[in-house]
Amino acid sequence: MKLIFEKSVPGRDGVSLPKDLFNDIKLEELLPAELLEQEKKSLTEVSEVDVIRHFTRLSKFNYGVDDGLYPLGSCTMKYNPRINEKMAGLANFVYAHPLSSPELIQGSLELMYRLNQMLCEITGMDQFTMAPASGAHGELTGILIMRKHFLELGEKRNKMLIPDSAHGTNPASAAMGGFEVVEIKSNERGTVDLDSLAQAMDENTVGLMLTNPNTVGLFDEGIETIQRIIHDKGGLLYYDGANLNASLGINRPGDAGFDVVHLNLHKTFSTPHGGGGPGAGVIGVKSKLIPYLPTPIVGFNENSKKYYFKDVGTKSIGMVRSFWGNFSVLVKTFTWILSLGAEGLYQCSKASIINANYVLTKLKDYYKPSYDRFCGHECTLTGREYKKYGIKTLDIAKRLMDYGFHPPTIYFPHFEPYAEETIMIEPPESEGKEVLDDFIKIMIKISKEAKESPELLTSAPQRTPISRTDDVLAVKRPILTYDDELELKDELNYQEKDINY
Amino acid sequence: MRYIPSTEEQQKEMLKEIGVSSFEELIESIPEKVRLKKKLELPPALTEYELEDEIVGIAQKNADFYKLKPLIGAGAYRHFIPEAEKALMQREEFWTCYTPYQPELSQATLQSIFEFQSYISRLTKMPVVVPSIFDGASATAEAALMALRLTHKDKIILSSLLHPHYQETVKTYLEPHGINIVELPFQNGLTALDQLKHSLDDNTAAVIVQSPNFFGGIEDIETLSKLTHQKKTLFIQVITEAMSLGILKSPGNMGADIVAGSSQSFGLDLNFGGPHNAFLATKKEYIRQIPGRIIGETNDKDGKRCFVMTFRAREQDIRREKATSNMCTNHNLNVTAANIYLSLLGTEGIYQYSLINFKKAHYLEKQLLKSGRFTNPFQYPYYNEFLVNYQGDMEILKKRLLENNLIPPLEVGQFTLKEDFKKSLLFAVTEIFSREELDKITAILSR
Repeated sequence: MKLIFEKSVPGRDGVSLPKDLFNDIKLEELLPAELLEQEKKSLTEVSEVDVIRHFTRLSKFNYGVDDGLYPLGSCTMKYNPRINEKMAGLANFVYAHPLSSPELIQGSLELMYRLNQMLCEITGMDQFTMAPASGAHGELTGILIMRKHFLELGEKRNKMLIPDSAHGTNPASAAMGGFEVVEIKSNERGTVDLDSLAQAMDENTVGLMLTNPNTVGLFDEGIETIQRIIHDKGGLLYYDGANLNASLGINRPGDAGFDVVHLNLHKTFSTPHGGGGPGAGVIGVKSKLIPYLPTPIVGFNENSKKYYFKDVGTKSIGMVRSFWGNFSVLVKTFTWILSLGAEGLYQCSKASIINANYVLTKLKDYYKPSYDRFCGHECTLTGREYKKYGIKTLDIAKRLMDYGFHPPTIYFPHFEPYAEETIMIEPPESEGKEVLDDFIKIMIKISKEAKESPELLTSAPQRTPISRTDDVLAVKRPILTYDDELELKDELNYQEKDINY
Repeated sequence: MRYIPSTEEQQKEMLKEIGVSSFEELIESIPEKVRLKKKLELPPALTEYELEDEIVGIAQKNADFYKLKPLIGAGAYRHFIPEAEKALMQREEFWTCYTPYQPELSQATLQSIFEFQSYISRLTKMPVVVPSIFDGASATAEAALMALRLTHKDKIILSSLLHPHYQETVKTYLEPHGINIVELPFQNGLTALDQLKHSLDDNTAAVIVQSPNFFGGIEDIETLSKLTHQKKTLFIQVITEAMSLGILKSPGNMGADIVAGSSQSFGLDLNFGGPHNAFLATKKEYIRQIPGRIIGETNDKDGKRCFVMTFRAREQDIRREKATSNMCTNHNLNVTAANIYLSLLGTEGIYQYSLINFKKAHYLEKQLLKSGRFTNPFQYPYYNEFLVNYQGDMEILKKRLLENNLIPPLEVGQFTLKEDFKKSLLFAVTEIFSREELDKITAILSR
């Protein structure tokens, strides 16, 4: 499809331009010429109609949750309720300036205060900060809180333990927090190897970052021993909340001994992913860590019955962003929790666990699971046995697109010997049985195709707006802007079918 | 439950297929000791109509912010957003999808980000644009970390006129790395040039200056960056008010090595401070040290132009602890919003909007000074925010403004806790104010 730049026609406007030009105020008298660009900066010149058509057409080249099953493992691509969007769009929230005085923002503060209470109840933690903008941002915040805790105790700890099955953000966040990463192997059950953990944990180690159920979708039944190993050496246990969708109303990280918890509100709590954010990665802590939270948190004055921003104090790690949090995401989360209540939250986890185990049961004869046991809210299968037909997991994923499904997460987690060529499927509670039956049917059909006519897979996808992309070329011949493309115009020879657009 | 399609009957069928007699069997691996023994104590579930009443009720405890026009900016600006953008942003295809890991099903997100990169590149005159870091503060911190990686030095110089939240965030991000952070004082509303000469040394990785700065002042970036480059130090320009890019000289034409810019002014609502978005822009030679995601153009198998996430070998899901940043989810949706906004404004629109912001701010300042109740502490070039001292009672001023549906300007003394600024107000003026409204504000404040 054409770029907006290729639709530009000199002289077109897409916005109403100012009428009163304030000609009595003269730019050239007020600013020295060297501070100004001498020519107008060239963007595009398109009408409002052009913009509406361009982006409407462009939007159709995306696939979203509203289009169908989006079974990305560890991503919890559940339905995003419309009422959440409407509530987050209320004018009194949307137009609120973050630095308005407290009497103007009592509603926003109340919502943050009450959401904190709800999230504490759901997770078993004592206080949340709403500041972090994403899961990884929350991880960094949590790690800095742990770091500060030990600095205050006067202890020098420089290592962080992370299982080999962890998300890449865990080691990356630990490194940003100044820690050396020590990888802990998974055992034949798919969970943390307790002996390796006990060996690695010492007085120089901050603690362990753990996802539970882990990224293979398995609940770590050794959690009691794990927390004892960590706490006996004075360490802290960090909970990566990417997979909380298996735990609502069933078990709480706070009760299992976790000291710091991050939640991806854009996963479990139904707020949209937006093609890669914005989400929110709020952090909950046990009471002993409250003094280190980013400042401020919301307080409530019992006498005046007013909410206010409370300074966390001198031990706070400081701010991790400007202003207070991704507020509209908090409104959506709050709305979702209120629409479900305790029983509804439990039903979400229950339905998602049944869904994942149903898919696992139906597909395990065709795609050997990493571990043959019941899973949580997601299951990890592999495409190993199709290697001998020249088929990679990537080909299976691309073939799914031809049947109208978004593929599951592939090649993650990756650790030998259990998890390679992985296909991680997460069918959240918002997927009904018929959808899963269709998906299962197609996955089985693809397994037959892999043996009988592998070229159908290796040449897939055929029914998407584009076919497979040349990612190597993108690095070898970088084109990162339209101006880069213009410079290379002579050597580029695209086969554009849709020249009119 | 309207968000869970499978009925109890269907769930039973599924459990039977799985080979268990109850759901409990599926969660046997969760040790009894860590199970929740009670029901969560949460407010009762509400019907959709009750829910709406409840949350509208909370929202009404806020002021009527649609009606209240802000004379406050300080890193968050209320600009007009065309309805065409708002309507397009309703399209689910843009917001119910994940990060574009599968390019065949994500060309809308990918192409839109590529277009945004192209716009920002033209506005900043920088060839490489990272489209999305969470906000200006975290982008500034990421820029500082990037400079440390590029130079292998251990000192950062910050202008004291960098937004206070940005300063705090940089300090938080750098704390674990034992970095020496030096603050540059200001003089007459601008970063003190003389002091830079004094603080800059061979260990300095980067000098970070915001322009327009926290007081709205337009810094002499050319001189500052020239000085900075004498020590093989990188110059980072921070921008909180992206609208200024329409008329002000581009950072790339003034010697900036990295630009960290909030793009909130490009079509994003205030939203009580988030989610906003920020970009990082830099030179081609630094691409392997940038944090976050970047989109590039390539071919598909049939020779069609298409877009993919590129230079991925820097990222956390591939490099783990050796990644340039831990960034994963960013604020991509707000990039598309900004892309639509910039497409609507276009060449003429960005120039005229940028110019009218400047003119309206200067018009109001002129009128306020004429009234005799205000003085200006600095003689400095500024964009659409300016600092004035008020001679009267601050509480009465705030009350009068609120009565007239205006959010008062920032009381700088309260925000930055500096004694000298007890009487100082930081006004922000955008295109949303008409000449009549600005005259009315002057009249209210001159009484």
